[in-house]
Amino acid sequence: MFEERGAEKLRTYEEINQKIRQGDAIVLTADEFIKTVESSGLEYAAKEVDVVTTGTFGAMCSSGAFINFGHADPPIKMFKCWLNDVPAYKGLAAVDCYIGATAMSETRDFEYGGGHVIEDLVSGKEIELRAEAYGTDCYPRRSIETAININDLNQAILLNPRNAYERYNAATNSTDRTLYTYMGTLLPHYGNVTYCGAGQSSPLYKDKGFETVGIGTRIFLGGGIGYIMGEGTQHNPQNQLGTLMVRGDLKKMNNRYLRGATYYRYGTTLYVGVGIPIPIINEKVAASAALKDDEIFTKILDYGIPSRSRPTVKKTSYAELKSGKVVIDDREIASSSLSSFKVASEIAKTLKEWITEGSFLLNRPAELITDHREFKPLEVRRREPRVGDVMIREITVGNPTDDIKSIAKILIEKGVDHLPIADNEGKLVGIVTSWDLAKALAQDKKQLDEVMTSRVITAREDEVIDMVVRRMEQHNISGVPVVDQSNHIIGILTTDHLSRKLIRRHLL
Amino acid sequence: MKLKLIYSPENVQRPVLSEIIQRTNVPINILKAEVKPNSGEMLIDVLAVGEKLKEVLSLFQKAGVKVKEITRTLEIDHVRCISCGACVSPCPVQAISQDENWDIIFDEEKCIGCRICVHACPMGVIQMF
Repeated sequence: MFEERGAEKLRTYEEINQKIRQGDAIVLTADEFIKTVESSGLEYAAKEVDVVTTGTFGAMCSSGAFINFGHADPPIKMFKCWLNDVPAYKGLAAVDCYIGATAMSETRDFEYGGGHVIEDLVSGKEIELRAEAYGTDCYPRRSIETAININDLNQAILLNPRNAYERYNAATNSTDRTLYTYMGTLLPHYGNVTYCGAGQSSPLYKDKGFETVGIGTRIFLGGGIGYIMGEGTQHNPQNQLGTLMVRGDLKKMNNRYLRGATYYRYGTTLYVGVGIPIPIINEKVAASAALKDDEIFTKILDYGIPSRSRPTVKKTSYAELKSGKVVIDDREIASSSLSSFKVASEIAKTLKEWITEGSFLLNRPAELITDHREFKPLEVRRREPRVGDVMIREITVGNPTDDIKSIAKILIEKGVDHLPIADNEGKLVGIVTSWDLAKALAQDKKQLDEVMTSRVITAREDEVIDMVVRRMEQHNISGVPVVDQSNHIIGILTTDHLSRKLIRRHLL
Repeated sequence: MKLKLIYSPENVQRPVLSEIIQRTNVPINILKAEVKPNSGEMLIDVLAVGEKLKEVLSLFQKAGVKVKEITRTLEIDHVRCISCGACVSPCPVQAISQDENWDIIFDEEKCIGCRICVHACPMGVIQMF
């Protein structure tokens, strides 16, 4: 039987609000609702419970605030503007700006960013405002330096283009070095797993059919009241990766639920507290609100592969992730969260209190959020040079049993610095550089396999040059053998050769 | 007991630590070592108490190595901490864990002072001594 999305079969918004006003509404947090369903069944819970409250508190990079400073005398049309040395977007009217969470201080960089400015504003701290202008007939002033606090501002509106991901990928790292990512610190050799999202408390997962959330839905945002403006950017509801765009009055928010943060060697961001009340208007909503951590799945991706399509290491549930240990290939690996379950549950409880005491009413959205949206990647149309375009294909390859002296001679004759070493089947087993050979000769070594490096950093023919250059920088090396799928040597790429190619292109 | 050893240009080239281990027969665990041609710092765990420990300490002093007792390796500002867990799984020795309320528990005994948690904390509330 087809039923329209958002059908108010069990109760209407008006009925719920009537009960809230009378103090009769049954409001449970998501955790409490799950317990009720476990003890008394879904049918009973759906009949009895009016509203389920949710909460999440995690890093949400697509966040920021619109600010209106008011006009100085003489007035200025700010062309560039900084708040505590963090640049704010000024492609707006004279004294409007947008401070984004990931913008970083020009003097303190990673340590302080837009997210911290927002936290400091909400805390009532003084913020240094600096702006430049070119001066016009109507706005003659060309610069301004002053201090502001949130009470001085006409408007300070938190407006986040993408918040409250329904769920998110978990992360691990297969490589042999520690990675610092937006998923936190990832130890080498699958040393740990990090994850985010609130699992069974996640606002959007509790209404995964998008039956109740929509434009205008009143929510808990940053400790104050906010509203859903519509779907968020990168909204991908058919894969349970829905997102929201939200707004709220920063002046009424609380710094406990808006925190500036830094991900080491990644950048700054803002932890945002979001809580959404889910009215149990029909059985489908009730079933979704009853989902438990062991029914909410995500993938652990390998962040060691620097590609858009990172390989999946394992499918897992939030229950497994939250247990603190994940089993990968028979090995127990420590897992921990980046978002805060403690604060998330506090948010769900606070929202429950607001509704129970009658200070927060629910509302029917003006329009439900779409439950389908095509999810597109960015294809690079301009041709980027790949390894195969510039690598040297005619190469000298050594054998592990080769005599060092004769190899040294060949290198000198050919004028090369890197010698890949292959076994009898042509598979890469090592590399030596002219420096290794000089050292070997000085130490009276005889055979290549005594001196070769056998853990070789390699490149693939179809890789973008930039990626390989970054890899060479990381390992402090000047050349990489290029290998095919089965590890056969097909060429070599060296910084020396690359720079010569670049110079030639530049001269032409 | 955890100790921080500070070597000088005069003694950094000498095998002070192994001499002390041989002489006292006390097992010593090296947790962290940063040895340069002219200086060196080490974090060690001396698995001894009482007289034996005193003997180890005096031998280091005799060798001219400065010794600092490490009673606390790091401090977490629990007021500003949001109990997320970003520092928990990156800790290579499981010195940081979370209780049933997700509050962060730090085990001084296990800590090797590697600083991974200091960087991993998004709120910047972990400080190393």
